Amino acid sequence: MRVSLEKRDTPLISGWSVVAMSVLAVLIGMVLGGVLFLPFEASPWEGYQSLIGNAFFSKRGFGYTLVTATPLMMVGFGTIVAWRCGFIFLGFEGCLLIGAMGGTMVGLGALEGGILSTSAPALVVTLALIWGATLGALWAGLVGELKTRFGGNEVLIALMMNFLAIYLVQYLVAGPWRVVGDMPQTERLPKDLWLPYILSGTRLHAGFLIALASGVAIWVVMAKSRVGFEMIASGLNPRSARYGGILVGIRQRQAALIAGGLAGLAGAITIYGVHHRLLDGLSDGTGFVGIVTALLGRMTVPGTAIASVLYGGLSVGGDAMQRQTGLPSSIVLIVQASIVLLLLATEVLRTHRIVLSGRRKV
Amino acid sequence: MDIPELAFLTTWIAASVRLTGPLLLASIGELISERAGVLNVGIEGTVLLGALAAYLGAIWSGSPWIGALAAAGMGMLVNVFLAWMYVVVKASQVVVGIIFNVLAMGIASYAFRTIMGDIPRIQTAPMMPEISVPGLKDLPLIGPALFGQSVMFYITILIALGTGWLMYRTRLGLNLRAVGEYPKAAAAAGINVVRMRIIAVLACGLGGGLAGAYFVLVQIGLFRDTIVQGRGFIALGIVILARWNPYLAILAAFGFASMDALALSLQLFDLPIPTQALVALPYLLTVLAVSGVFGRSRNPAALMTPYHADR
Repeated sequence: MRVSLEKRDTPLISGWSVVAMSVLAVLIGMVLGGVLFLPFEASPWEGYQSLIGNAFFSKRGFGYTLVTATPLMMVGFGTIVAWRCGFIFLGFEGCLLIGAMGGTMVGLGALEGGILSTSAPALVVTLALIWGATLGALWAGLVGELKTRFGGNEVLIALMMNFLAIYLVQYLVAGPWRVVGDMPQTERLPKDLWLPYILSGTRLHAGFLIALASGVAIWVVMAKSRVGFEMIASGLNPRSARYGGILVGIRQRQAALIAGGLAGLAGAITIYGVHHRLLDGLSDGTGFVGIVTALLGRMTVPGTAIASVLYGGLSVGGDAMQRQTGLPSSIVLIVQASIVLLLLATEVLRTHRIVLSGRRKV
Repeated sequence: MDIPELAFLTTWIAASVRLTGPLLLASIGELISERAGVLNVGIEGTVLLGALAAYLGAIWSGSPWIGALAAAGMGMLVNVFLAWMYVVVKASQVVVGIIFNVLAMGIASYAFRTIMGDIPRIQTAPMMPEISVPGLKDLPLIGPALFGQSVMFYITILIALGTGWLMYRTRLGLNLRAVGEYPKAAAAAGINVVRMRIIAVLACGLGGGLAGAYFVLVQIGLFRDTIVQGRGFIALGIVILARWNPYLAILAAFGFASMDALALSLQLFDLPIPTQALVALPYLLTVLAVSGVFGRSRNPAALMTPYHADR
């Protein structure tokens, strides 16, 4: 039997086909994950129950899900701006680190003897978040400059700059900012500088609200403003955008600044909301997973927010499942990745149909 | 030169050469793929799964050669999937690569735990034999570096040189480069663009898989799911720094490796240079190389652009 692809006369673009394919991908991914439980003599049902129960149906767990989703969301929103503008930015990991570094820098200045030691905590935190966002924006903005002014390749530049950020943070926590002790990390920031917890009994911090607000802002910019329209036009077809009078280079540079700023802010928020200090090993792939959530959310703000919560929940649930039942959390990685890959693979069914034996058409 | 200084340099160069091997193998694979127009960010995952296959193959068979073969097979196998996504489905290369790395991480740590049990018995894989040329090995500076390496190192250098020859001296190489520069013209000249790109991605799998084998069978002897830790990504940097040239890739890989080796040995001393600055230096050079500030970047023109025969 021969299996081949044949081009459809008209591509499937109805909303139903999108929903059907997404549901199909999630189901296949979950079934695949279920099979992976079997060697551990655990029923997939129990495995998923523990996973989903911990992530979404326990207060503490759900709080942690939202904490995990916070930076994913912000990187996802950054992805929407940059990628829709035709700026394929992969440097969020670096921006998160640089933002975390910037935020910590301000916080350390508020310690005893620092120049901000007499300032009000709220002012210090605000300054820290702004400075983190600024540094993140500049980090990404540099990539934007190199691409639009010098014709550099933004994908490769950003990927390599991620490593520079990793080593910079490593240097700071192992060298000048290191606190006395075994671990390469800075001093813990005083409690009055922490972002407040907003749901009792959980670790959910106010940074989540900032993420939601940034989502609204990005939605307004992209869907309602002239700048957003010009950005999207630049991404769809830079040549016709230029012909239509849009300054593509400037829009792409602005997109880079916004995207990097969001990721930098997310990095600073992670410091003030979760870790309360800068430490080695902060780079854990959030900057890449955030891109994936934006794709899962089909490059829309609400979609990205939902995808981030689901993705974050799966990760949180996977860890809880491993603690509770001893089932490996790596199953979750496989399920997450399979779903995304299946979604990408089924995309081909929108423009092509599968032909079996040259006769039957599916 | 003082004897201690000479000894230091000799050790440093030898250590650099030892670290060069896997980086070079992965970069040669990546280079072939990029020359055909496919950016394979998923190389990190390929290297990791290659390492797993090498470890299991070597332990089960008792022979490092079977291990290397298993790694090569595994690399090609997973890259069949990548090639399908990149070339047939024509999904975004960057996205597929990123998510494939997540998948590979999951598969590697899941498979390792399932096969080895909860508390894996620490079992060292049989290692690749070392070649030692009597007399020459004792030369100062370059002796241990060039005449006392694992047999896999010499194979790696041959692979790099062979790739250079294929790339610049054969019709196959010319066709490969044409497909990466201007696929439409290549197709008009009768080259099967799709097939060429699939071959290139498979070659990348071969290089990536063998790089994984190198980590296990030459350097560490064990498998952990953190064994690669970003060194697949270094291959992307090496390819840039080498300007997509297999011969220069040997030097670029050595450059990255030598900074790593220097950082490792400087940790023993208390020097004012932060080791991170040394390790970061090659990345900085890479950023500059691809920034476009020093002349237009010369990456293959069709890099990252899926080929549509009908567009």
